[in-house]
Order: sequence, then C-alpha cells, then structure tokens
Amino acid sequence: MAPIKLAIIGAGPSSFYVASRLLASLPPSSPYHSALRIHMYDRLWAPHGLVRYGVAPDHPEVKNCVHKFDAAATDPRLRFFGNVNVVASPPVVPLPQSTELPLSTLFSNYTHLLLSSGCSLPLLHPALPPSDHCVPALSLVHWYTRHPSVAHKPPPPLEKLEHISIIGQGNVSLDVARMLLTPPSTLEKYDIPEPVLDVLRRSAVKHVSIIGRRGPLEAAFTTKELREMMNLEDASMEPIDPSLLVVPEGAKLTRQQSRTMQLLQKGSRNKPGTTPKSWSLDFFRSPTGLAPPNSASSSLTRPYTLSLAHNTLSADKKAIPTGETSTLRTSMVVTSLGHQAEPSIPWYDPDLRHVRTVGGRVVDETGRTVKGVYASGWAAMGARGVLASTMIDAYAVADTILADSFPDQIRRENDALASAAGDGSLGELSEVLANKVDLEGIPEEVNKAMASGDVTDYRDWKMIDEEEIRRGEKLGKERERMDWEEARAFLEHARMS
Amino acid sequence: MLHLKSIQTLPETCRRATTSLSLSHVASRSFSRQTIASTRTHRSLDRCRTEWTRHHTRHNLLTSSLSPLYRQSTCRRSLHSTAAPQHGPITRPAPGTGIKVHFKDSKGNLIKTVEANEGDDILSIAHEYDIDLEGACEGSVACSTCHVIVDPEHYDLLPEPEDDENDMLDMAFGLTDTSRLGCQVKLARGLDGITATLPSATRNMFVDGKKPTHH
Repeated sequence: MAPIKLAIIGAGPSSFYVASRLLASLPPSSPYHSALRIHMYDRLWAPHGLVRYGVAPDHPEVKNCVHKFDAAATDPRLRFFGNVNVVASPPVVPLPQSTELPLSTLFSNYTHLLLSSGCSLPLLHPALPPSDHCVPALSLVHWYTRHPSVAHKPPPPLEKLEHISIIGQGNVSLDVARMLLTPPSTLEKYDIPEPVLDVLRRSAVKHVSIIGRRGPLEAAFTTKELREMMNLEDASMEPIDPSLLVVPEGAKLTRQQSRTMQLLQKGSRNKPGTTPKSWSLDFFRSPTGLAPPNSASSSLTRPYTLSLAHNTLSADKKAIPTGETSTLRTSMVVTSLGHQAEPSIPWYDPDLRHVRTVGGRVVDETGRTVKGVYASGWAAMGARGVLASTMIDAYAVADTILADSFPDQIRRENDALASAAGDGSLGELSEVLANKVDLEGIPEEVNKAMASGDVTDYRDWKMIDEEEIRRGEKLGKERERMDWEEARAFLEHARMS
Repeated sequence: MLHLKSIQTLPETCRRATTSLSLSHVASRSFSRQTIASTRTHRSLDRCRTEWTRHHTRHNLLTSSLSPLYRQSTCRRSLHSTAAPQHGPITRPAPGTGIKVHFKDSKGNLIKTVEANEGDDILSIAHEYDIDLEGACEGSVACSTCHVIVDPEHYDLLPEPEDDENDMLDMAFGLTDTSRLGCQVKLARGLDGITATLPSATRNMFVDGKKPTHH
C-alpha cells in the first residue's frame, strides 16, 4: 500500500470519527501502521466543531464523545493544527486570528484530502432579512458558546425583549427556547460563559413563540427536546388547538411521531397561566414580513409586527397557504431554518448546498471522481442528523478511504473494505493531489505560523481545556470558556514556565 | 453497604445527590454490584429524579490509554454535573460461572458468546470483550450509538425502557420492536443466554447526491 498522508479540513466530530477509525484500522500490529499520517486543520483555535460550539450547554452528556477524540489525538500519527483557515477563495467568514492556507498548498503536500468542514452558514428566510431585531439562531448559539466569530460583538439585548418569535421547529429552535426560558440559576452550573449568564439573568423574556409552516407530524424536533420543553421549571406551554392534535384517519405514524403527539396532547408539566414565562408551538404559519414600529400602535416591549400566512397541508405534505393571515406582536425574530455549507468550499454543489459526493468520494461537476478526495459529515450530507448519524457516515468514509488505498487482495479478504469499495470501478478520475510527498512534512506557511504562536496543536488545546475546567471549578460550574486572546495569553505564559 | 444505609437516612434530594456523587467517586465493583439493584446512577445530579439512580458501569476504555494529564481532566469533569460516571472496567467472571451473552452481527452471525456478571450492562460487556459497539455518550442516555436488538424471549424479561431511553431509540437506525440501548440493559440471572444483535449501520440511510432541502 502506498502511504496515506491525509489532510482533513475541519476538526469536528465527523473529522475525528474518520481519523479515529483510520488509526484504529491500522494498529501497531498492521504492516501498514507507519504508512498513515493525518493532519487535521481547523480555522478555529479549538477542536471539536459543533461539539464545542453547537451542542446545547444543558446537554453536557452529548459532549462525552470528546473522550474518544482525545484518545485518537494521543496517536502520534495524528496532528491537529488550529487557527489555520484553508481557503480556495476569499473566506465568507473572515477570522482575523487564523492563518490563511491556500487549498493548492494541501494539494501539493498530501496524497489524500477529506473535506469535513460542516455546514456553517444559516439558511435565511426570504421574507425576513437579518437585522438588529431579526437574527439567525446560529448567532445566538455562537453567543452562548463563545464562538470566535462573535468576539467583541454585542450580546442580544434580552433585558429589553419580552416576546421572541422563533421561525422553524427543529431542535436548534428548542435549544434556543430552552436557554431563554430556563432559570439562570439552573443554567449556571453548565458550560455557559459568565457574561452570557449575566445577560440571561437580566432577561425580560416572558414568551417564546416557536413557529412552523407545517403541523405537529412534520415538526423536525425530537422527543427528548420536546419533553425538556414540557418539563421547564417556570414556563408552561400555551394550549394547542385540539383539532391540530387529531391524527388524520388512516395516517400511519412513525414511532417518533406518535410519541410526539402523546407529549403534545399531555401538555406541559406546569399548567398554562400558572407560570411567569410561557411558550407556544404555532403550527401552520409562514412568516411574510416583519414591520417596524409605527407611532399609532407602538409598544415599547413588543414593537415589531410579524405577519403570518396560514397554511394547510397538501396531499404530498407540503405547506400551502389558505389565504388567511394574522399578525403577532414581538420584540425579536430568530430564524432557525437549518444550515448549509459555505459556497467557497471546493466541489460545492449549489443545488445541494454542500459538497458533491458519491459514497464518500468527491465528484467534480463533470461527474468524475476526484482521486483521493473525500467528504464526510454535514459537508457531505447536508445539515441533518444527530451525532450517531455523523459517526456512522464517518466510519463508512474511513472504510472507503482504506478500500481505495489497499491492494485488491486485502480488500477482498475484509468484509467492511469490500463493501466500502463497491464494484471497484470509479470510472474516469480527476487528479489534483500529489503522488509523492514527504510523509512528515508540514506546509511551509503552517510551519511559519506555528513559530509565531498563531497555530494551536492538540497539546495546547488540552492545556486550555484543563484550565477552562479549573476556572469553571472555582465558579462551581462545568467550565469557564476562554476566548482566543485569553487562550493565547495563557499558552504564552504556560510555554514560558 | 453501611455507606449506602447512611445515605438512605438523608433527605430525599440530598440522598440522590450524595448517592450519585459517591458512586462517581468511590464505587468499587463490589460496592456497585451489591447496590445495583437499588441504585441507578443518572448522568447529572439534578436529573436524578427517581429514588433509583441509574448506575452506568461504562468504563472508558480509552482513558486507560491516555496520558495522566488527560485522565486527570476526565476525572475532574466527573466531579461536576456533566460527564457520565467514570468507573473501572467490569470484571470477567470465572469461566462457567457468569451469565452468558451472545453477540451477533447485523446478518445474524454469531460474533462471540461471552460471560458477565449480574448488573453489568450490555455496552460495558461489549467493550470488555472488544465487540464493536459504540457508546458515544458513555452510557448517559444521550445518544443512540449503543442500540442493540434483543431476542424477543429475553426482551420480554427486561424492565420497560424509561422515557429518556425511548426518546433516544426514536432516533436509532434499524429500530425494531425489541430494540434497546445497550447501556440500559443490565444483566440479571434470568437473562442467561440473552442475544444482542448489532443493528446494520450502513451509509444507505443517506442518499448521496440530490436530496431536496425542506427550506
């Protein structure tokens, strides 16, 4: 087998699951053990992608997967380079602290490439352009996870907001709603930065409307998240029109749908009207516009008017307007409609809104498989699925990489590799990567940035991780996050002593 | 056991917290096995909402290979409300004395038959015997990666899954009528001969290429 020198763009869960599987598949007992090198690049200084900057703070158990990532990172064949932004064209989200590395540099330094950079752009609603009173849910997630892109940006003015309208009924919507409705005294033990908790403690939010264009059977949230909403300590759900909770005759519900319906029929643990805060699921409503305050009907706390078109379901489960409309007075609109990959990533397909792949292998616009180039996770599948689906996909991509790399004979003898290889014919190939590379070599730009302290490695991250946990311990919480300035100062100090 | 008794005289909320904390820290295998029937350690203190706290014996096999620095960090984490309890590995019973568990692959082929002790859960057993069963959330009922299909005869002997396990099973791939999370299936004497089949995990779930987005 020719050596595999793999560059991975992105260091989120999908990236780590692929790396972990590759490393484990070539253990020290394998004759190919030393023929593998993995260099993982992330434009952020901290690894783990959405596990650090996406998982809701009150779901700490989900983050236990990092123990597996930590274990993979102890393998000397894997190296992590944080703060390195691999760019094919000028980046959409400029990150001043990260070093820009042209994609072409990876082509000449690696034999294999994995695109694992996820879906980092929020989908917007055509009727609701972003403004200071209409923000994507991702901005709030970035705020409460202290994502590097929000450094020095003002927090949401929750002390002035009484009513929040969330557009979209997925789990991100419920995560945001839960953060806004859970007492800060309950949240403070979690991994939530102190400045975020301060804002939450001053919050004036009384009601969160969670608006979806279709009905309860089409909602994207899952039962765990819905149950958590139902069990909120000092919030209750506004009653849902019972006619919406009648299962249509002849409808065959999935297990999840029937359990969702049961939860909705039962309602929240706290009865409506008995709590200081409330929330509602507003089904069959599509926003058509957000009007600014007008002097005649101006309300200080709910100055904006959200127009909603009422919908019904077509036979093929699409939302179709009934012609009826209504309005909702609100203080801020949060759009939570899913995510897409950045159009600047290589082999991006504008129709799919992510990388074009077949069975994990990247395909160019003419349909040719690009030799040695793969994609995994949301960059390859689009933004859907939970950690388990990302893991299954990542393992399959790792098997495909190995199947493509191993000689035929070995491939045939191993079930997993044989099925990953498919029929073995990839058709015409497009080639962009080097055939011969220095296995230990690091691109010159990266070497230079490392010398000036701009790049983090996994050891740096573990030191920061330890320190964040130590700082959290002092405050009686899971961790207290650092931003890059603090982390950099801490690392400089640690390296000197 | 004395330790447990003293805990039981504490007020309810306090006892839950203490039980869970003490299990996270001092649980030795013998202690935990004796108390397993009455103790189910849950993932975080505030979620210990029943008097039975759930006890996950999931040993993080990975941490044993980590540097002391890493291990320290995971131990520290378990001091707080966050991580699943980190316990030692399960102990294998003397051959011929344990409860037999058959692991099968998704095609129904036997992977291996192993023996384990009362109270051990399927996920921990799989890890002890190098069966390829993931446990991404380490037994804290926050993912569905340890999904197994239990043979119907033994499935009927198991206590009903709780809401949180059902919520995760909703999202499991290849769900069947006898699906469970491996971390929640605890061995009892009556379960001798139980079969745990790993579900098929293929990327066929994801249709490559065109798939309309909903937005």
